[in-house]
Amino acid sequence: MTKSTSRRAALKTIAAGVGAASLPMWARYTNAATSEPIKIGFQVHRTGIGAAYGRWYGRTTEAAVKLINEGGGINGRMVEIVAEDDGTDPKRGAEVVEKFANQHGCDVGFGTLFSHVVIGSSPRAGELKLPYFVVSEGHHVASGMLNRYTLQPGITDVKSQVQAMAPYVAENLGKKVTMVFPDFAFGHDHRDFFTAAIEAQGGEVLEHIAIPPTETSFTKYFPKIPRETEVLYHVMVGPAVLTFVKELGEFFGPSRPEMFGFIDSLEAVDISSPGLEFLEGTYFWEGNPRNAQADQSEHDKFYRAAVGVDDNGASISDPTDVSTYAHMFGCWETLHVIKAGMEAAGYEGPGDRAKLIEAVEAMSDMPESQAHPQGAKVFNGKTHQVFGHQYISRVEGGKLVKVHTTSIEDTLYPDEVDYTTQSF
Amino acid sequence: MRRILLIVILLLPGMALAHASEQGFVLLLPTDVYITAGVASVALTVILLAMMPARLAQGVFHPVSLWRRAPMPLHHVTSTLAAVLLAGLIWLGLSGPRDPLANLLPLVVWTVWWIALVVLQGVIGNHWRWTNPWTGPAALLTRLTGLRALFRYPRRLGFLPGIVIFLAFAVLLLADPAPADPARLALFAGGYWYATMFGILLFGPRWLLRGEALTILMRSYARVSLLGRRGRQFAIGLPGWKIMARPHVPMGLAVFILILLGTGSFDGLNETFWWFSVLGINPLEFPGRSAVITQTILGLLAANAALITAYGVSIWLGLRIARADLDLGPAFRLFAPSILPIALGYHLAHYLTSLMVDSQYALKAATDPLARGDDLLGLGQFYVTTGFFNTQATVRAIWLTQAGAVVIGHVIAILLAHALALHAFGSTRRATLSQAPLALFMVAYTFFGLWLLASPRGL
Repeated sequence: MTKSTSRRAALKTIAAGVGAASLPMWARYTNAATSEPIKIGFQVHRTGIGAAYGRWYGRTTEAAVKLINEGGGINGRMVEIVAEDDGTDPKRGAEVVEKFANQHGCDVGFGTLFSHVVIGSSPRAGELKLPYFVVSEGHHVASGMLNRYTLQPGITDVKSQVQAMAPYVAENLGKKVTMVFPDFAFGHDHRDFFTAAIEAQGGEVLEHIAIPPTETSFTKYFPKIPRETEVLYHVMVGPAVLTFVKELGEFFGPSRPEMFGFIDSLEAVDISSPGLEFLEGTYFWEGNPRNAQADQSEHDKFYRAAVGVDDNGASISDPTDVSTYAHMFGCWETLHVIKAGMEAAGYEGPGDRAKLIEAVEAMSDMPESQAHPQGAKVFNGKTHQVFGHQYISRVEGGKLVKVHTTSIEDTLYPDEVDYTTQSF
Repeated sequence: MRRILLIVILLLPGMALAHASEQGFVLLLPTDVYITAGVASVALTVILLAMMPARLAQGVFHPVSLWRRAPMPLHHVTSTLAAVLLAGLIWLGLSGPRDPLANLLPLVVWTVWWIALVVLQGVIGNHWRWTNPWTGPAALLTRLTGLRALFRYPRRLGFLPGIVIFLAFAVLLLADPAPADPARLALFAGGYWYATMFGILLFGPRWLLRGEALTILMRSYARVSLLGRRGRQFAIGLPGWKIMARPHVPMGLAVFILILLGTGSFDGLNETFWWFSVLGINPLEFPGRSAVITQTILGLLAANAALITAYGVSIWLGLRIARADLDLGPAFRLFAPSILPIALGYHLAHYLTSLMVDSQYALKAATDPLARGDDLLGLGQFYVTTGFFNTQATVRAIWLTQAGAVVIGHVIAILLAHALALHAFGSTRRATLSQAPLALFMVAYTFFGLWLLASPRGL
């Protein structure tokens, strides 16, 4: 009797095993308790001024989720992306967060890039107790202005990026800097952070040249650049960037100072475009090197292939379609942090949201890996901000060639907030 | 509270990553040379017309008959199919993917219909007879229930309902914070379809001709298309030949046509740095549509009022100069349709770039309508590209195509207005004099249209 029972049981087990083997890959990992997918609300800039970034954030997100699901999902559950357009609009952003929490039953919100949308949406995420993982680069998370439910674990912030540039600039390019920047918050961040950082390196900013955001011709500003300038630091953005470079080239001719810029100006623009020849030999910050480098890691290689990006940082289906390579890795890495956090917290559903946040807050070292193809990172659980290597590239033959990798220490600054002291 | 929050947001440091590519290349193009050339060709048309014999100027609008029209009785069937398709799309809008670039409802409404089908209607011919989603279901309803219209459409209303509904549509298009949100659009589209059916139930098919703004728009654009009916024949002719065949339009329709152009023009203007500076907003950190709803609506109304006034004044001046014995009202109704080629040119120019990008998304959504990873059309791994905004050669080609649409629209409009003037006044001299202010207006409008294309934009 016992025997037969156990035989029956054994047969059952075998049958179950055979059944499982014939199931598709994902179903084998299905958790017995729940097979509902993990829903990640993707707040994406489909329309409005962020649309060009939104397209690549979308493509990277799609690739990361495909990889995660092929690997068995999160805690054995598949990941489902619920993408909602926020119109790059803060008010709309808050509504989208609300939809994630109340309408779509999302476990977390994710993916916002533009600062004003983050700042407009984050309070609502806090009220609704929805973990909100932003990929924004802004300093607003670490500055303490947001809340315990908002985290930025997949991309470094502008303050650490800018300050990490100063040692290399002072040592290799020059100590007398003139800054040209657009006269609004984005430019002011650069002005404030870099001025302090270069002074800490024994350098100085000779002149701050603030350009009105609607300006489309720049020649009248160039005579303000002091003659003794050794390095010109530029962070122009907007449609007039190409004009800015062209006019700068006409102004200086062959005898220019060293030039250092942020790739934000030319993100998704082909550096070898006509009119940009003047940039040859100049330097750029890159969040992630657009061109595959000589020492390319296997992880970057894997990540590029998964997103469908070639060695020049362009789409494999159209070599003129240059990606937002310096930023979009943030979506990939953030999704992997969400996965790691949910697995560490044993996340089962919205009731475990606080546990998820605590699990992410407990993270610190994130080694370079398939989950972190941009490089190793250190997460600061108190400030909810990740810190990582920054890259400086030089334009050589129309390509961005990496010449320097900062240490993570170069990017650190004293904590400005401790979110862990806030209650859930 | 919301206002305070908005102000706080605007004051806070942040980043803006407005994109350089396409517009960056446009700013590098010698657009001032192109604009001069475009304006000059329109001006030259005016001068040539002044010297051209009347018979020749009118002759260009003579159509060529193609073949005898075969009866095409299937329009009720195709219209019913269009309604079924719309119902399917609305269902997708409510329950399909939430991403407006992955959901077929917004892609079909704003890309396939509002861009492609409107342009086809204006360039080729009246497909709306077969593609509208109302006439078929209305016919079916009448056949099944035997119901006739409950009321006579009040004549004194004229085109007023159509004008009001079109302005409401323009507000949705330009000022609403999320016109492409699938669920929101599903409610708008479904609600509007239903309301229109109700209108037909009340007033019969006349509602479509007087109150249903989209049908009025489509029928207006059909007037400038190449193909059309001429008696029992199918015919083809220079855009405008159908207007020459039946010149006068009712006053309400004349105003409607001007509003088409005014709205189209404002749709370009409201993206320029100039408009942002009027609003006192930094275009590089545009706070989003929801922050400028009132301004956009006021701008839309002001732009239309300004255009109608400027147009009316031009016609009035022309009548004075030519000492014509035509009153302002009839003249306004006579010349207004000549605006249609301009409005159509603007439509194509303004939306060309969106069409190039969003039609790819439409294809992608068509192959995978439920975003489940299907590939119904067998496209394989399909990536949407915007690479054509990244090279100088392609950006130049796109810009010149847009500018070409604007210039050709104006040239045809001037030809048409001149031919209409000859028809009304007889002699070339009087026609030319009467057209002088209007011609000046159109030359200025060409400049405005090309300036819009060349201006830096914040969206």
